[in-house]
Amino acid sequence: MKNKDLFRVIIIYFLSIFFAFVVISIIAVLFRYDVIKVLRTLLTTSFKTSFGFQETIKKTIPLIFTTYAFTIPFMIKFFNIGGWGQMLFGGTITAVVGLTLPKIGINLPSFIMIPLLIITGILAGGFFALIAGFLVAKFDINPIISTIMLNFVAVQFLNFIATNPIYRDPYEGHPITLPLPKSGTLGFIFGIPYSIIFAIISIIFVYFLIKKTKIGYEITAIGYNLDAAQKYGINFQKTILITFFIAGALAGLGGTFEVINIHKKLIEGFAQTSGAQYGIFGVLTSLIVAGNPIGVPIAAFLMSVLLVGADALQRTMQIPVEMVFLSQALIVLFIVTFRERFLRRK
Amino acid sequence: MNNFFVELKNVKKVFGPVVALDNVNFSILKGEIHGLLGENGAGKSTLMNILYGLYTPDKGEIFIEGKKVKINSPYDSIKLGIGMVHQISTLVPQFNAIENIILGTEKDKYRLKIEEEKEKIKKLSRELGLDFPLDIKVKDLSAGVKQKIEIVRALFRGAKLLILDEPTTSLVESEFKDLLKTLKSLVNKGVTIIFITHKMREVLEACDRVTILRRGKVQGILNRDEMTTENIVKMMFIEKDIKVTESALPKVELPESRKSEKPVLILKDVSTESTEQSIGLKNISFEIFGGEIVGVASVSGNGEKDLAEIIINPKKLKNGEIYIGGEKINGLSTLEVFSKGVFYTPEDRIKEGILPEGNLKENILLGHHSEERFLNRKIFIKWNEAKSVTLDTIKKFNVYAPNEETTIRRLSGGNIQKVIMGRAFVNSIKLLITHNPTSGLDVSTVEFIFKKLVETRGSGSAILWIGEDLDELMILSDRIMVLYKGELQGIFKRSEFDKYKIGLLMIGGQK
Repeated sequence: MKNKDLFRVIIIYFLSIFFAFVVISIIAVLFRYDVIKVLRTLLTTSFKTSFGFQETIKKTIPLIFTTYAFTIPFMIKFFNIGGWGQMLFGGTITAVVGLTLPKIGINLPSFIMIPLLIITGILAGGFFALIAGFLVAKFDINPIISTIMLNFVAVQFLNFIATNPIYRDPYEGHPITLPLPKSGTLGFIFGIPYSIIFAIISIIFVYFLIKKTKIGYEITAIGYNLDAAQKYGINFQKTILITFFIAGALAGLGGTFEVINIHKKLIEGFAQTSGAQYGIFGVLTSLIVAGNPIGVPIAAFLMSVLLVGADALQRTMQIPVEMVFLSQALIVLFIVTFRERFLRRK
Repeated sequence: MNNFFVELKNVKKVFGPVVALDNVNFSILKGEIHGLLGENGAGKSTLMNILYGLYTPDKGEIFIEGKKVKINSPYDSIKLGIGMVHQISTLVPQFNAIENIILGTEKDKYRLKIEEEKEKIKKLSRELGLDFPLDIKVKDLSAGVKQKIEIVRALFRGAKLLILDEPTTSLVESEFKDLLKTLKSLVNKGVTIIFITHKMREVLEACDRVTILRRGKVQGILNRDEMTTENIVKMMFIEKDIKVTESALPKVELPESRKSEKPVLILKDVSTESTEQSIGLKNISFEIFGGEIVGVASVSGNGEKDLAEIIINPKKLKNGEIYIGGEKINGLSTLEVFSKGVFYTPEDRIKEGILPEGNLKENILLGHHSEERFLNRKIFIKWNEAKSVTLDTIKKFNVYAPNEETTIRRLSGGNIQKVIMGRAFVNSIKLLITHNPTSGLDVSTVEFIFKKLVETRGSGSAILWIGEDLDELMILSDRIMVLYKGELQGIFKRSEFDKYKIGLLMIGGQK
């Protein structure tokens, strides 16, 4: 039985991607682009040059974090649309801590500074998401609404910090802060950010959390059947708070790495790629794997391949990146539809 | 030409191993109030759902006003003049009465002719003598008023037969009097009514004739002059043909057992809040000793669910005290209660009892997931331990499943129930609270579960068994207590068991 299901899943994914590319090809033909070249650019840019591959990994890392931010609350049937806001908030508070300490005369060595900033990002993102978690656990406020609203709060908070005279870079026209002290930044190895180590740790962490721990079991049980879980003593309100905290903590951690590893300062729009924000890509990626935390890294990587391909299309063929967003949206739509149609339990 | 509005002939309906209706003949005269009585699971709902088009019968015929018909959906039944008023309001809370009544009857595709319809509805409700506010949102109205709206809604659609499914569940006394008046006046206007109920008094006051179902069969049809408390109780609870009862019930002996000296469970003046879903408990006090099975006999909706749940979740206690093994458990969480040696199997095994997409291991662990034996450093689950316990349960309870990784949803109802029971015996327990453990199961599984209960009793544990079948309770209980409207009506010792007396109390007859 299990093998049959697996076979179906593979077929569904294959067909979904295939159909999405068929639609893309048709559009490309209609706009008189060279279809073969479009598809080749889209799919192979990540693997042709080391730069392409490095770019792909750079996108994969934050995407993994925001995908988990959506996936974990989704396991108990809540939509956290606030991965973006939690990432921004985590990154912003990280920058505040990283810039303030030297200003008040505290110069910490790297091996203290980096862990401190990482913990800052985790706590900042976690508590920011906890606002939405608290609102739903206590007052039944739909987190779709609260997390979207909190995204705006996070954007404005970032702008407030990045334009603040204490932190801003006076030579920049945009909201950008001064660079972080060297002790508070991470470097690259073969063009790949060190934060990949932490992304891998996070993947292992989530795997153990869900599969091996009591709280993971409680999350799973609530996802399977809330009524039964509650009858047998699982505290729903508490689990809501924990899932939102973990979700926000991971998104916030992702924000920290964007700030200390990629940009090395706080800049407006640091949590965006190809002109769209990581939060929404996280939602798409999570939907592709049906909220299954184990599939997240693979899906995030494939998503990033498409994003890098999209950038290349825009550069070399002047095809707007939105066309790739279209293909990603189509893949999700096809997968969700096929899954409902062919895998649904009676 | 006979004078029947509805006739059902030889209707049969089977669900899995359970014969819900067995060659039922049921007929209603035009213009009468016809009571439909029976215990839970007697087949009342199934019969009405067939008439209303929600189920199709496996066998049998339906005649409406002498003509043979097929009813495949509620849409068909509405066209045939059948209207149903459900036990729980099906009105749209955000709409007012008018909007609710015209919903789905709009003839114009684009325009709502509310004003015209309003006049019609006003006229209809005046004729029927049913007055209710037309412009207030239904959610702000009382249960009795909502019911009037539901009745008018059915009649507005041209219903000539009204099915009222336990219409008095959420009504207060004065509203019941009102309803009675309404029904009488409807009948005078030529409407026919089927009145489903559990309550003796309502039958005696409201019905012209009554059909009594028991285990999917018609036990009898009584005319007004034959309707005595005695006749009704006998037909509801005591089968005419004794042999049938015996063959349908498992043969399990209840051996002598030693009762513990001190009670395992004590309830003192326990009350719970009454809500729209449940009637709540009113000042319940009793004790259960180790080594005995105490059956709770009640018609569903009389507080028996609250009784089970208040013990495993005493946070919901309004007042009173609960003791387990001498220790007060007021304010404890479910897991804390479980840690005192209590376990529970819920009423609805699919909705409340299992994690359908989870495997057997995950399902067995539910409720035990905080116990030290399953945890490493209080955080990590010992899946190996869960696995060996699961395999052990599969063996002990004869669960028909390949291994511990099987998704529970794939098992049959009987095997699912065995897993739920098995979960309760992962640890040795002092008190088992079990709610309808045998409903919808085949005789051999019932027998198996009975044997487990007897075994548990023999080992000195106490069992609080809430059952929907009085015959089953009488086979296996040391004592039976009766709940009616959230109040304890009495406790019977085994030597005092009397189907008639117990049945009478269950449906609110005089003590």
